[in-house]
Amino acid sequence: MTDPSQPSSAVPVAIVTGTASGIGAAIAAELQERGWGVAGFDLRPSSGCTLSFEIDVTDLEQVERAVATAEAQLGPIGAAISAAGYYEMTAISEVTAEQWRRMLAVHLGGFMHLSRAVLPGMVERGAGSLVAIGSELAVGGGGTGDAHYSAAKGALLGLMRTLAVEMAPKGVRVNAVAPGPTDTPLLAADSPWRHPDYLNTLPIQRLASAHEVALCAAFLVEQGSFCVGETLNPNAGAVI
Amino acid sequence: MNTPFLTGRVALVSGAAQGMGAAHARELARLGAFVAVNDRKPSDQLTELAQEIDGIAVPGDVSDRSAVEAIVGRTAEAAGDIDILVANHAYMTMAPFLETEIADWWKIVDTNLGGTLHLIQSVLPGMRRKGEGRIVVVSSEWGITGWPEASAYCASKAGAISLVKTLGRELGPEKIIINAIAPGVTDTPQLAVDATAEGVSLDAMRAAYAQQIPLGRIGTVDDIAEAVAFLCDFRISAMVGQVLQANGGSTRGRA
Repeated sequence: MTDPSQPSSAVPVAIVTGTASGIGAAIAAELQERGWGVAGFDLRPSSGCTLSFEIDVTDLEQVERAVATAEAQLGPIGAAISAAGYYEMTAISEVTAEQWRRMLAVHLGGFMHLSRAVLPGMVERGAGSLVAIGSELAVGGGGTGDAHYSAAKGALLGLMRTLAVEMAPKGVRVNAVAPGPTDTPLLAADSPWRHPDYLNTLPIQRLASAHEVALCAAFLVEQGSFCVGETLNPNAGAVI
Repeated sequence: MNTPFLTGRVALVSGAAQGMGAAHARELARLGAFVAVNDRKPSDQLTELAQEIDGIAVPGDVSDRSAVEAIVGRTAEAAGDIDILVANHAYMTMAPFLETEIADWWKIVDTNLGGTLHLIQSVLPGMRRKGEGRIVVVSSEWGITGWPEASAYCASKAGAISLVKTLGRELGPEKIIINAIAPGVTDTPQLAVDATAEGVSLDAMRAAYAQQIPLGRIGTVDDIAEAVAFLCDFRISAMVGQVLQANGGSTRGRA
């Protein structure tokens, strides 16, 4: 099947953010397994990527410079996946202005910056695929302590749907994956999401794996040719 | 490029003589599965498809429980217990609500929703023996949004989504993973039927629908087949009870 997201260069190129660990690292590994060159953006080194950029996705200039460098070294960007993020639980009355701002800056700002940096080239080539990693906590709503995280991820999904409709006529597909609790370093060892009482409420009775999330993202990048503004939900059945 | 991740799997696809069902069967076979193709009646089309993909043809009416038992039995005899069910069959007629023939209403519901029930009930024992399974129910964008003069069809397709959500919860603990796909307007032989009913050319029909779709075109059967195959991937269990909407971005007005 032809893949409209892939430019005509020999090796298709993707940018993935949050590649130092967890879901971002798993997506980078899956795409490389399928023959993609991957530039990984993270605050920390991304050991599993073709190219590693230690940058902060909350800074648009850093993202734009890294995208330009990646493009110069690897070729035109065919796909960009925004997986940079973090999770913390804080009661709404305790969320500080700084916590609120940073949560939005990383999740919503990170995806917005990545989109701003890669879209001009994709639109010019009339081909590309963007994938935002959202969260089940933005699809079904979060619980106690999830206010700032679910608000940021909800805003991310709103941006994704709008970009999807705006970019589809220009040949760029924009979609999201909204994982449920996933077995990554982001999820603390003592997290309530790891407790057997919680896991037993899930239809598959375990956490999602980063590899499952990566397979969903890779589907949206490589196939998913009629998926536009869609959110895939590998959430272990937490939200049905 | 993805790997042929369905090697060694046994699949049954209903409504597979033409259109989307035939595309699903070809895609699952391309990815390595043995595929039994079903449609309501025996036909050269169905037999030739089975030959093309090295599968078997298992015609029979899915709204008839005993026929479904036979379909599943013949598939199991040929290749072993079924790992993958794609419930793709559908029947529809359109009419204003008050003019809908009651007999036709029940034929639509009994075929689309009842047929899905029969298929799932019949494949479950085999999937339980295997300790896992994948079920994909082909619903429709109209099962989410509704559509004028398609009340029975929309009700049947919405019912399919509720069935998937329920069985996602009920069968998930047994590693039998069910999901739905809700295709948007897709270029199938049904579109020609619709065009004739509207008194317009097929190209005019395609263009009229494409105008409503941000991607600027209607779907192809291959668009939908690749998404169905994705939902059959045994490496992914965390997606369960979900509805994958492949519709080119006709996102407005949907739930």
